Amino acid sequence: MSLHIQVQPVARGTQRVTVAGRLDTHTYEDLDEALAPLINTDLHLLVLELSGLDYISSAGIRCILKARKALVEHGGKVLVVNPQPQIQHVLDMVKAVPLQDIFASTAEADAYLDALQRRLRRGAAGDPTP
Amino acid sequence: MLIRLIVPGEYARLEDLNASLETVLQRHGIASQVRDDVRLIVEELASNAIDHGGEAPLPHSQQELSVDIAIVEDLLKLEFRDTGAPFDPLGVPEPRLDADLDERVLGGLGVYLIRNLAHDIGYRREDAYNVLSVSLRIPHMEVSR
Repeated sequence: MSLHIQVQPVARGTQRVTVAGRLDTHTYEDLDEALAPLINTDLHLLVLELSGLDYISSAGIRCILKARKALVEHGGKVLVVNPQPQIQHVLDMVKAVPLQDIFASTAEADAYLDALQRRLRRGAAGDPTP
Repeated sequence: MLIRLIVPGEYARLEDLNASLETVLQRHGIASQVRDDVRLIVEELASNAIDHGGEAPLPHSQQELSVDIAIVEDLLKLEFRDTGAPFDPLGVPEPRLDADLDERVLGGLGVYLIRNLAHDIGYRREDAYNVLSVSLRIPHMEVSR
């Protein structure tokens, strides 16, 4: 039983990580270790792409909560993309991630990220319109 | 009782236990959603038993975990037994899910999940064993096989 973690190159403060397989007592430390060096004050969004994740237990939930906690400290957040039904069910039960931060598809998450980037650019240019 | 599965109380053997359970439940036509719930419950309970059983007179390698499985009408009954030090997982305080992330304690999640998935749950100490009974509702039981 294994976990596959693929870390994409970081772009504009957004880090995508694809997690597939089983995230449980046997594998959570691998994800903890993979995420730890990625989380710093320059990182605003950690996007966990979970379409290939088959199973999660409380050990895996703690991984996600730990990452959220580290990011929230400097105003960042964790987005979850495409969780399978078992994963979604467990995330919901323990309120691991706010519902508005869970996206049913990569396209949905991308649309959200694009809108966010546009808003940030406008903000940086001193444009007061929301 | 349908079957009893016994493994040594080690993380490494947990997957064997789950694989055997999966086979047994599948053979009895238990839907995959219930099998997922069972897998989660077994993992959470076994990790608790292994983590908290350390002060027992026996070293980990000699400790045992066993699961009795029975199907009674629309309930799947699991009786989980370990030889660890007395430990009642139901005595663990519930996690504060609505607390801010900062104040959110990361413990107690496993037991919280089990409570949410189970129809009924109970702990008792019986001789040298911690015994936890968990029953799950089986929706639309496929009895034809």
